[in-house]
Amino acid sequence: MKNNIDEINRNVYDIKNKDEYEFKIKKGITKDIIEEISKQKNDPSWMREFRLKALEVYNSLELPTWGPDLSELNMNEIATYVRPKTKLNTSWDDVPEDIKNTFDKLGIPEAEKKSLAGVGAQYDSEVVYHSMKEELSKQGVIYTDMETAVREYPDIVKAHFMKCVPVHDHKFVALHGAVWSGGSFVYVPKGVKVDIPLQSYFRLNSPESGQFEHTLIIVEEGASLHFIEGCSAPKYNKVNLHAGCVELYVKDNAYLRYSTIENWSKNMLNLNTKKALVGKNATMEWVSGSFGSKISMLYPMSILNGEGAKTEYTGISFAGKGQNLDTGFKVVHNAPKTSSVVNAKSISKNGGACTYRSLVRINENAKNSKCSVSCESLMLDDISRSDTIPVSDIRTDEVEFSHEASIGKISDKTIFYLMSRGLSEEDAKAMIVRGFAYPVSKELPVEYAAEMNNLINLELEGQVG
Amino acid sequence: MNNLKLNDTPVRTSRNFNINNIKLMDVDIPEIIDDFNNLEIIGEESQVQNNANINKSKLIYGLGTELEKLNEKSNKDLKIELDSTDEKEIQLNFKFDDNNLTLLENIEIIANENSKSTVILKYISTNKEKAFHNGIIRVKAKKNSEIKIIIVNLINEESNNFISIENNIEENAKCKYIMVDFGGKNSITNYYSNLIGESSENIINTIYLGKENQLLDLNYIGELRGKKSNIDIDVQGALKDNAKKHFKGTIDFKKGSKKSKGNENEFCLLLSETARSMALPMLLCTEEDVEGNHSCATGKADNKQLFYIMSRGFSYKEAMKLIVRARFNKIIEQIDNEKLRNEILQEMNEKLD
Repeated sequence: MKNNIDEINRNVYDIKNKDEYEFKIKKGITKDIIEEISKQKNDPSWMREFRLKALEVYNSLELPTWGPDLSELNMNEIATYVRPKTKLNTSWDDVPEDIKNTFDKLGIPEAEKKSLAGVGAQYDSEVVYHSMKEELSKQGVIYTDMETAVREYPDIVKAHFMKCVPVHDHKFVALHGAVWSGGSFVYVPKGVKVDIPLQSYFRLNSPESGQFEHTLIIVEEGASLHFIEGCSAPKYNKVNLHAGCVELYVKDNAYLRYSTIENWSKNMLNLNTKKALVGKNATMEWVSGSFGSKISMLYPMSILNGEGAKTEYTGISFAGKGQNLDTGFKVVHNAPKTSSVVNAKSISKNGGACTYRSLVRINENAKNSKCSVSCESLMLDDISRSDTIPVSDIRTDEVEFSHEASIGKISDKTIFYLMSRGLSEEDAKAMIVRGFAYPVSKELPVEYAAEMNNLINLELEGQVG
Repeated sequence: MNNLKLNDTPVRTSRNFNINNIKLMDVDIPEIIDDFNNLEIIGEESQVQNNANINKSKLIYGLGTELEKLNEKSNKDLKIELDSTDEKEIQLNFKFDDNNLTLLENIEIIANENSKSTVILKYISTNKEKAFHNGIIRVKAKKNSEIKIIIVNLINEESNNFISIENNIEENAKCKYIMVDFGGKNSITNYYSNLIGESSENIINTIYLGKENQLLDLNYIGELRGKKSNIDIDVQGALKDNAKKHFKGTIDFKKGSKKSKGNENEFCLLLSETARSMALPMLLCTEEDVEGNHSCATGKADNKQLFYIMSRGFSYKEAMKLIVRARFNKIIEQIDNEKLRNEILQEMNEKLD
């Protein structure tokens, strides 16, 4: 019995625009190149120095000795900065036609009209469009691109930029520190509740280039926010690199939900870093769907620094032919009465490989903390691969920690049951996979749906339903 | 004095997690190896060939080349060949004393076709002197054989205890391990099973108990190759004082292991706020039609249980002992040898005092 659940139909995402740009930096990573990027971006001097220091760190660090094979990545072949032929626009009409078309097809302006409080769209290395509902700016919410933030809010940026994710964390964070460009900056003042989500969309069009956007979100005490991030790129034969960095500050009693729907093309190396510092009684929720990219190494992290802080991770990855998705979650309990819940799912098909890799650390001071981890993997054929590599490090006794995981195929009994109710075998299987993915898809805003739902449906209904 | 890097996991993860291997500083590796004479054999001695010419093929995993090489200078080479079908038990007691402080042994156990037997390997200190033990145990469970291997480590807490185990389990063979890991300042175990035969079975039940500054590093790897093969790993442990434990368990479903099952469960009871428990239960899978589960849990004794037992007149310490004993008992009870069982229980009581 073989399963006909199809891989994701990528037609919409594979639309390539002509590789037009105003400026594309030379390939490779050298001091001159970094200085040129800094000049092109009109960096203040502190940022220029920061970049150069990060470059030193980058040169001093090794590639990871674990995880997927990154040998095909040749930094000398990657252009780290590509400025599209447009400036930052606040009206959709001003965005150049070809870029606008791409985003139109991806459903971005539609989503904005219907269900978003603000939208940012990044094309290659620069943000080309940014807008936010007026009532939010009246309440003091700031939502802008990172470059504007560096210029207009230097104190806030200086106090937070790469403090949560230091450049020494790993080689690709150091690289990011040196060449970062674009990304979003969100500041939600004390007590302000942003009811409808903000969204940033990242699109990499230029071949043999990299996208290194920096997202910095600060949710002040008692405030709340839902932020959605989407990513895609058309497929080229050469590898592209995405090494973004997301820093989230969730202050005391605040709430942040960070949702990602990632659908990079299958020549993309997605080596992204995301981390949140969570304050007293604050809540940080991650929702993550990984569908695209050739290789992903992505492990969002919550550091629960305040008493009573909570975090939740709900993630799904779907690896098809030629994909190696190494994803997971890291949490450090660093204060009493903190709690974390992890729910990870993966589906491997057609030779794809999924790995769930994680860390749970409960420190000496995290008395009365709780953590529960569950991961499930579904294998849809016998040429794929699915691994679970979870580490737990428990350093105190007043804790409750449990981890469970399972791996397997769709049970014949369940298929038989559904078929006895009149479903065809394919429908039965599709229904089971849909049910398997449901705990993740239900966490996403239904109205928005433009991407994740599309992906799930294409995946399940493609050839099947 | 040597620094050792040992017991690599089959798949690496981030170096920052500090679990890919174990680093031991300042380990006294003996250079002059004297004979080890304090070996007692209980049961049918004819099954054991002393100083035998035995299989010393390179281990697939093992603790590391340094320790594997060390055993080329072994002072005990034993071959145990099992033919009986009446579940006879053979027990080997290795006793460390003032004259026998270093044991580098190679043991080859062959369970012949259709045989049924039990082998007990007990390592015990009779004094407080620091001993060094490095054992390599190779097991072949031939077609339709059933073998139960009980390894009991009651070495004193000054000593180093290293054990590498490698099993090849053929068609319909059942190989069951009971491991009691109580002793050693450092107790480092590498366990590898190759379930090569169809319907082969491997059950591993382990209890460990760490106190003071003891360090336990358990690296269990099961590779399922045969169809309908089955592995079940159940590890129960408790840590007090500053004891530290790493449990690394890997179940690897290789291509061809259709209809196989693998289960892995680890539970660690923390009896002090400074004890530290790390776990890495891995599932690796390249076959579709299999069922793999793992779970691990860490925590302290349940307050309600403690309250209940104490309300019956027991002290806190006694209540704690009962709880640990209750967890361990389901594994200890599988040891038929009553004398050995009592010895383990007594050691457990002493350690928990």
